[in-house]
Order: sequence, then structure tokens, then C-alpha cells
Amino acid sequence: MNKLTTMTMLGFLGMSTTVSADHAEDHWPEPIESYRTGQVLFDRLEFTRTDNNENLIVWDMLAWYGGDTNRVYFKSEGENKQNDGEPTELESTEVLASRLIAPFWEIQGGVGLRGSMASDTDREHYLVFSLFGMAPYRFEMDNSLTINEDGDIAASLEAEYDIRLSQVSYLQPRLEVSAGLTDAQAFDRPSGFNDVRIGLRYRYEISREFAPYIGVYWSRALGQKANQIADEGGDKIETGFVAGVRMWF
Amino acid sequence: MANSVEENRRRFIKSAIGTASALVLAKMAPAWAYPLGRSYGDVIYAQNVVDLHIRREDMNVAGRIARPITINGSMPGPLIRLKEGQRAKLHVSNALDESTSIHWHGIILPENMDGVPGVSFPGIKAGESYHYEYDVQQSGTYWYHSHSGLQEQLGHFGPLVIDPADGDIGADREHVIILSDWTFEDPDEVFRNLKVAEGYYNYQQRTLGDTFDDIRRQGLAKTWQERSMWNEMRMSARDLLDVTGSTYTYLMNGRDNSTNWTALYKPGEKIRLRIINGSAMSFFDFRIPGLEMTVVSADGQPIKPVTVDEFRIGVAETYDVIVTPKNDRPYTLFAESMDRSGYVRGTLATELGQEVPVPELRPVPERGMAAMGMSHEMGGMDMITTNEDQLGMDDHQEMSGGHGGHKAATQQRPSAPDLGIEHAPGGHGPGAAMIARNPVSRLNEPGIGLENVDHRVLVYGDLIGAHPWPDDREPERDIELHLTGNMEKYMWSFDGVKYTEVNGPVEFHHGERLRLIMVNDTMMDHPIHLHGMWMELENGQYPRPRKHTISLKPSEVVSLQISADAPGSWAFHCHLLYHMKAGMFRVVRVR
Repeated sequence: MNKLTTMTMLGFLGMSTTVSADHAEDHWPEPIESYRTGQVLFDRLEFTRTDNNENLIVWDMLAWYGGDTNRVYFKSEGENKQNDGEPTELESTEVLASRLIAPFWEIQGGVGLRGSMASDTDREHYLVFSLFGMAPYRFEMDNSLTINEDGDIAASLEAEYDIRLSQVSYLQPRLEVSAGLTDAQAFDRPSGFNDVRIGLRYRYEISREFAPYIGVYWSRALGQKANQIADEGGDKIETGFVAGVRMWF
Repeated sequence: MANSVEENRRRFIKSAIGTASALVLAKMAPAWAYPLGRSYGDVIYAQNVVDLHIRREDMNVAGRIARPITINGSMPGPLIRLKEGQRAKLHVSNALDESTSIHWHGIILPENMDGVPGVSFPGIKAGESYHYEYDVQQSGTYWYHSHSGLQEQLGHFGPLVIDPADGDIGADREHVIILSDWTFEDPDEVFRNLKVAEGYYNYQQRTLGDTFDDIRRQGLAKTWQERSMWNEMRMSARDLLDVTGSTYTYLMNGRDNSTNWTALYKPGEKIRLRIINGSAMSFFDFRIPGLEMTVVSADGQPIKPVTVDEFRIGVAETYDVIVTPKNDRPYTLFAESMDRSGYVRGTLATELGQEVPVPELRPVPERGMAAMGMSHEMGGMDMITTNEDQLGMDDHQEMSGGHGGHKAATQQRPSAPDLGIEHAPGGHGPGAAMIARNPVSRLNEPGIGLENVDHRVLVYGDLIGAHPWPDDREPERDIELHLTGNMEKYMWSFDGVKYTEVNGPVEFHHGERLRLIMVNDTMMDHPIHLHGMWMELENGQYPRPRKHTISLKPSEVVSLQISADAPGSWAFHCHLLYHMKAGMFRVVRVR
């Protein structure tokens, strides 16, 4: 499966080969060559303190390589609860092929993995389709639909917005919503809305590439998931402080 | 501007120290830009072969050690002076560890002498040389530069001046002024930054504070309307230049502001200043406070004299102006970048070491509705249908900087629909974030940030050719090209198609007279350059002015007449270096 994926990706990138023009002699170079580059971006790399006095390390990163139209993406999101002896929890790790379909939108498809890094039982392989880009009013968005080996379908939406306070500082509201389209009790995703999380971060750019931030978040379980948590005597609502850095290279 | 004697004395002492350090630096910066300039009658022609050696070496740039590309040991390269009617023989040897080239910008010559790797020749490989030889059929102010990769940004350029056959330069003395933008960053890194992080170099964006100011000034409703237009388009009204003074040091003849390049004059003399914009990415507004300038030539070609106080010079354009300072005093030669993120100055003085207070940078201008062509569409999604009734001319004027009674507001503007502008069905694809729904001629507008200055500013509409050109046929055929871009992804192209995706050249039929119509579907100004042939600008004047590079404002349409008299393949591109690299490039084939 992995080998196949790699080959598909390479073929996909190869689609943007240069059309040779017939005005020049064969051994001449192209006056303008096609350009590919890449980027590794940690949108969030943060230390979180929850209202239950838990300490977490949270990351949300992506890396891409390619031209303007076709790119390959690697995305990863997850958390590690400090001092609980539990392994790291992968919220998602995905490899995707991406194509620019409109000036501000890329459509992406690929494979992903989520669950606990240690146990096989709650680890999940899935296919993912994303609509990734910038909505009017400059909302940065990543909307995904995933389907796992059992046929469970889940949807998630992530939106960020930068309010520019100065040339190097920003206030960033952030919204995350997840929902199950099918009932996936095994993975704690009953059908209907599952979670909503709202964050607000203040970020200061030391350079364009390195910007520390502080912030807060509020999250709430919804629908059936909220009922289940209530039945188990858990907390439907979680809040916390974060301190971290947005960085890219 | 009046200075007391005491101030002058103090300044003299200060500048004497400055001169000493200037002499040290002078070893590094080009020797041709010596303060005396050239008096009428001095003859310095390159009759024989001119040898040009290209290498990469350490050099002092703006007081720091940099590693530019030098030509015969200087950056910018040497002044090459030719004479109309001679045969130019230029021998270029490449001591770089990569291929290079020299393109003679604005010169009419055979296709294999044009110096564009992959279009006119294979380029000059490392360690090899190329012999350029052609008949010089024109006179005026031009320049030369590398057409390989991003070498131009590293200083691979220089001035090229051709005297008319009769040797008359029309002045008592002349000075060549080549403006440029230097960065200590690697140009490849600059390009990548533009690609991966929109607005990387723009430290003049609107902030929340600006929005609050707008609400206070003009109310919530109007502010909301303006902001929502820009935000729905996902574009910035302050996106004036992609690469700014945050990384650039602007140079005049290779010298920075502290070096204060000085041009000498004697009171009463007629002085010809040959101003060349040799920048990679910077439009400049050039003025000499206290001195009016009579523009006598544009892009090397003579025009009927027009007297102004300021002019905007696009990348790769040249203007010759005549100044006649009558008083025995220094004047500042002031070139301010279009986005007001920096400037470079020199001094026109009667003695070395003089200087006068340098003007302050003017406030950062903001693009108004005119940039959007009044109404617009984007991303295949129809915007609110804005027409001039809803967002009338008042809004437009105010948004571009307030009511000033400027001529731009009153002069008639030919309407583009007369030219039958057509966009590709469904827009120009993902490479074009905007389409100018109602492009207009903006030839009589001075450009962003100059709409309301209280002095005379040159506009393209002022340019009148000095005499008619030989081919006066009516165009038989129209060719239409759209300038397209996507700032967020830093994609630049014609008709939404990058050079690397394009299927074959733009075909001109040898001997035909044609009209090239260009529409700027982007939010940026673009200087568009055609190699090998002149473009006569249809600006309502006769004779039409001839240009090798024509700058288009956002949502502007221009039309140009071209005699397809140069058989072969020629480059046609945006002269903003990183736009060209991104794909805003075509080959024109004449056959």
C-alpha cells in the first residue's frame, strides 16, 4: 500500500512536466523552468494546561512539496499528555496528493492513520479527502472527510483567521468542529456532532518564520458524545491555556 | 529648502568627512559614474571590441561586504557607449560557475544577438565566451542585463548609451543615473519566500488600527463596504510591490544614501540626466526638489519635450530629462520606491561634498476601487455587481486618496469595451485570482500615490513622439493578452497560463502591422517588455511614443501598434524579475 501510494504521488507530480517549445534548438535550455519547492509549517506547537491541571504537548503541522498546481502534503496533529505514562495520541497523520482547483482552493486526497501510538486496537487507517485553502474574508480552512476500514465516515472543519494588530503581531481566532456521519462507537465517534473547540491566540513574529504565541481555548463535547461523557460522570467542557510557537522552514 | 549659512557650514564639515569615505568606496562602485559626468564634445566611443568579464566577487555594497556579480570588476557594470551607425562588437566572457547571458535591452538587432538563453541562443556556459556583433541603428539611453535565472538581482546589469550619428547630445553636460535594488539575501531565497509566504516582505499592511481610523473618519457602513470588498477578494489594498525596502537597499549608480552619489554641474549649464531603472522589482518616483525637469526621451526614443516636476519610472524603463539649474546650490536627486518603503538619493551639486536636506518618504498609498476595474469577479464566483451608480466616481476618488481636483479625475478615459475585451469563459483558471470586469485606459493617471501631489507628474498620455515612425499603416490584426496572477500562490502568467504550460509561441506574421491589446487582470503594476521590436503606444497622441517596456496599472487596458519587422523568436515578459521567473513570459515568433 505504501509503495503504491508513493508511486501514485510521483506520477501525480510528474503531470506538470514542461511542454517543450519549438522555437528553440533542442539542446538549448528553457528560458523559464518549472519551479518546485516545499515547506514545513508547524502551525501550532504548544504546551497546554487544562482546567483539570493536566499538561499536554500539542502539535499541528504540515509539510508540502510540489509546484503551483500539484503538491504532496504530509499533515500531522496530535498530543501527548505529560507524566501519565500513556503513549502519544495521534489525532491524524495523513499523506495526501493535492491539486489547485481554484485560485484559493486545493482539493486533496490520501491516506491517514489515527489513534494511540502504542495499542493496535484503537488505531485506525482511513482514506481522507480535504478541501484546503482560503475562504472569502481570508479564513484559512482545512475541511476533511474521512472513511476508515470499517466504513465509518467522519467530517471535520478547521478555520483560522488572522486579525493584524501590527505588522508583526496578530490575534488569531480558531474554530474546530468534528462530526460522525456514521456511528463509530469503537472510536468514540457516535453519529452527529462530536466536538467543537474555539481558540484565541496572540502571536508575535520575531521573524516571519518564527512566531511565539499565547492563548486560550474552550471545547465542548456535543450530541451523543456529550451524553455518553455525562453518563460516565466526565466533563463535557474543557478549557485551557496554551503557549507555543508557529514556525516554518 | 532655505538653509542658513551656519547650517551650510556645519554640513560642509560633515560632508567633507563623507567625501573621504566616499573616495574609499569609489574604488568599489563603478568608475564611469564619476562626478563630472561628460561634457558635450568629449568623445568616448567603443570603436573596437568591448571586452566584458562576468564574475562573482566580494565587494563593498552599502558599507557591507556582499558578493554580487560584477562586470569588469564593478557593480553595476561599465557604461558602454556606442554611436549610431557603428558596428557594435561586444565580447562577453563568463567566469561564473554557471551559465550567463547579456541582453541589450531596447536595442534593435538580429535575433541571435538578443541574448536570451533558450530563445535567441543557448546562453554562455561557465568558462566560455560569446561574441555579440550588430549594427547600431538607433541612439538614446538603454541598458543591458543578464537574462539567466535571477542573476540580474545580483547586480548583473549596466548602462548602455548610444550617441546620435551627429554626436549632439542636446545639452552641455550629461550624467547617467542607474537605479537599482540590492538585497543581501540570496535571490533564490527571496523567490521561495514569495512563493511560500504571501506578503513576506510587506511590512506596510493594513492593521486593525487602520480599520478603526476608517470607521471614525467615514463611518461604519462605508468602512464595512470597503473592507468586505477587499476581504472577499482575499487581496490587500497595500500590496504595491512584492519585494520592499524591508530587504532592499536602493542604489544610485551602485551607491547607497550614505555615500551620496554626486553629479557636478556649472550654473547655467543645460544638463541631460539619463535615468535608467535597472531594478529587479522596484518602481521609483523620481524628482529633484526645486528643479523642474524637461523630459526629452522615453525608453531611449525622442519625444516632444514635456516639463514636469516628477515622474514614475517602471522597472526597465528609461527617461532622459534636461535640467538647467541657474542658482549655485545643490539639489537632491530623489528616487522614492512606489510603495514608500525606501528611497535612494544623490546630489546634483557644484562641488563635491555638498548636500541638502532629503525629503521625507510620503505616506503609504492604498489601492482604491479603480484597481478592481470598478467591478470584478473572482474565483468563478460572481461578486456583488458593483457599477458606477453604486460605487460612483466619488467613492473612487476618495479611496484613491481624497479629492484633489487632479486631472486624472477630469480627463476623459477611453472605455475598454470599445476594444471588445473578452475574457476566457469561466475566467483564467486557478492562476488568476481576479478578472478586471470593466478594464479602462489609465494612461492619463499618474499612478498610485501620485494622484494628489501638488506638482506636475508625467503621465503616459503626455508622451508624443518627436517625429512619425516609418511604418504608418493601420494595424491589420489585433492580438489580445491578459496579465494574470494569483498573489497567494505567487503565480504570474499571461491568460492564466504560465510559460511552462504554454503551447507554442505567440505568432506574428513577418511584415504585418498589428495591434497588441493588453489587459491587466491583476492588482499589481506590471512593466511588460517586448524584445526585438518597438511598441507604439496608442495614447491619443500623434506621433505615437515608442516604448520597449510599457507599465500597466491594475485593471488597465492598453493598446500598442507593432510592425512585425524582425524575423525570429523574441522574448515577451513582465520585467519584474520574480514575476518572469514565476512564468509571466512568452515567446513571440515572427515568421
